[in-house]
Amino acid sequence: MPTGLSSTSAPTSQAYASPGLVPAARRAVEDVGHLLRFRTATVRRRRALPTAFAAMGGITLAVCTLPALFPGAHEDGRARDVLLLMPTMFAAFFVLTVVSGVSSGGGRELLARDQGVTFPVSPTTDHLGALLLAPLNVAWLLQAWVILGSAAFALGPAHAFPAMVAIVLWLVACTAMAQVLAWTMEAIRRRSYGRLAVRTIVAACALAFGVVHVTGRLTDLLDNLPTVWLVARTTQGFGSAWLGGLAFEVVVIVVAVVLGAVPAHLAARRPPRDEARLESGHYTPRRMSRTVVGTIVSIDRASVWRSVPMRRGITVLGVGPGLVAILGSMTWASATILPGLVASGGALLFGVNAWCLDGRGLLWRESLPARPDQVFAARAIVLAEFVLVATMVTLALAAVRAGLPTPAELTAIAMLVAVVTVQVLAAAMRWSAQRPFPVDMRSARATPAPPGVMIGYSSRLALSTTFTGLFFSFLARADDWRLAILFAVPLLAWSTYRLHRARLVWLDPVQRARVVLAVAA
Amino acid sequence: MSEPVVDIRGLHVRFGEVEAVAGIDVQAHAGQATALLGRNGAGKSTTMRVLAGLVPPTAGSVRVGGLDMRTHNLEIKQISGYCPDVGGLVPRATPWEHLQLSARLRRLDDWEDRARDLLERFELGDVAHRVTGGFSHGMGRRLSVVLAALHEPRLLLLDEPFDGVDPIGVEATMDVIADARARGACILVSTHLRELAIQACTDVTVLRGGSRVATVDSAEMAGEEGARAYRALLD
Repeated sequence: MPTGLSSTSAPTSQAYASPGLVPAARRAVEDVGHLLRFRTATVRRRRALPTAFAAMGGITLAVCTLPALFPGAHEDGRARDVLLLMPTMFAAFFVLTVVSGVSSGGGRELLARDQGVTFPVSPTTDHLGALLLAPLNVAWLLQAWVILGSAAFALGPAHAFPAMVAIVLWLVACTAMAQVLAWTMEAIRRRSYGRLAVRTIVAACALAFGVVHVTGRLTDLLDNLPTVWLVARTTQGFGSAWLGGLAFEVVVIVVAVVLGAVPAHLAARRPPRDEARLESGHYTPRRMSRTVVGTIVSIDRASVWRSVPMRRGITVLGVGPGLVAILGSMTWASATILPGLVASGGALLFGVNAWCLDGRGLLWRESLPARPDQVFAARAIVLAEFVLVATMVTLALAAVRAGLPTPAELTAIAMLVAVVTVQVLAAAMRWSAQRPFPVDMRSARATPAPPGVMIGYSSRLALSTTFTGLFFSFLARADDWRLAILFAVPLLAWSTYRLHRARLVWLDPVQRARVVLAVAA
Repeated sequence: MSEPVVDIRGLHVRFGEVEAVAGIDVQAHAGQATALLGRNGAGKSTTMRVLAGLVPPTAGSVRVGGLDMRTHNLEIKQISGYCPDVGGLVPRATPWEHLQLSARLRRLDDWEDRARDLLERFELGDVAHRVTGGFSHGMGRRLSVVLAALHEPRLLLLDEPFDGVDPIGVEATMDVIADARARGACILVSTHLRELAIQACTDVTVLRGGSRVATVDSAEMAGEEGARAYRALLD
């Protein structure tokens, strides 16, 4: 019979000894491969993977080449203006990746915490996995495509290729640097008074930016960004300057990837305070609503607003685009692009898998004598108000610079908000019934669906709501304010019909059982 | 004998190509506590989910209190209380909010005193206003039993109520079952803990591979003799 070692016995194996730094790093890299294979094997529609990757590759190739063939490419007019904006685009991409990483508590997970708890996954593996998953985000992809396309247009076919290489490296460098900052902020957040410290840092950044903007020094700041140096070297074609820029980027990538493991380990040693605070807090009981739907809404609302990823997400989503509107001095006609994007983002925080709010509690919820239509209505109401809160915050901030709208602008914005809300609601509730996932939304890093599925959802939502926004942008410029109402009615009717069809799926007992069992799995 | 509260005849449940329940017949009466025993995958939890109105039967007839599950799903949910086998709690809602929802949907009046009493009996009074996401497994199980029993249902469905529960919780659950029997409710307890099932129930139904293989008096399953008989039924 095997027995444990006595205090005088020499250990016969080094299996439990702590490895050195290099072997540990090598093991972490190997583990990323194991986890990736595991994740790929658990993808439900594996046949769609090659198609999805081919589509993304095709879009990237088109974005890198086609703009170079557009009229005016690599000429003095518009192409030159675009080239001048490149340093700002580089910096904006960095800010985007930092905000995304910090708000998601260090980035996405290759293996969800509750699933990975039994496996010896090191924080280094977690860090590398988060880096790999960072591009699987529609905001990351769209920004990347905009920069690549702009470079192709600004430089033309002859000079675009070397710049593309440098830009791709810059995107990787930004992601790696953002990861370092995200882990650092998470490590700070998990210390005593960490939440206060993080809020102070964020407030200080916002204040500094506000001061720069109010004092009119924003243009000076943008003209002197460190990215100007990099853009100057990477857009001059092959040569020593270009090589120098590339070498700099490679060094930044290597240093950031290695350095990121340090705060990742620091963060992993401490419990997540935000989640612990919400889970151990005392909630004063409220009076019950007089109606059944009101009571269900009340418990659903609690599920949303007590979730860390949703609270952080809605803050970033509401405030971020609003600040962009202020800094970009957006008019109401151009601000019509915002409600759709914000509503889409709101739905992506939980709405695309709306039934996951209850987790395994959905089994008990479904044993209660509530009519399925009431349950559906309550969930749709909670999702709609969640999306509307973010949209209203954005529009309130946009109003600071855009001022009082004309009647046509006001009607167009109001109708647009109504249309995109129902549009997003219909899509989210439909997907929630079609493809439910068992997800624990406790962690700040949780997403309601796997990364690949989220890309599909976000692309479709962004595309449809952007088109709607552009259409209402045109209507905001019209002379007659009634036009917006006239065009909104059929769009609302169509989205309401789609929402009704999603409701019918939920009302079917067989379909409902499938959703419940999948979410509670 | 009176009409059974639970009357399952030829129940089949299929999930795609998997047949989770393959023709089960179960009858259970008022004042009777029946244990569903069997190995993992025997169809116990699926049968309970069908009775709770969560999973519609693929074939067969399921009647509760004389009502057909297909046509009176909501009415059956009014008179039954269900403790699911896994989780069963909304992670970011408090126990009190769970109780409020159950009370509102079942139109209960003056339920607060009974709710407080149950929470105290299950030693959950101190955490009544904390979200359940931070609960231990045992606390979650105990709260699930409280939720199932709050409205004194005619049919009490307890799926693995003893799993990971400490002795005080087990005792409180036994009391809930005894109280329910005393007031004439029908109780179904699904578990793989034979000794506790025998202690809590009057009858034992053994399931294997999605089918019922035996229904016996719980006394016949007690002791070493009963353990051998049970193992023989499982093989």
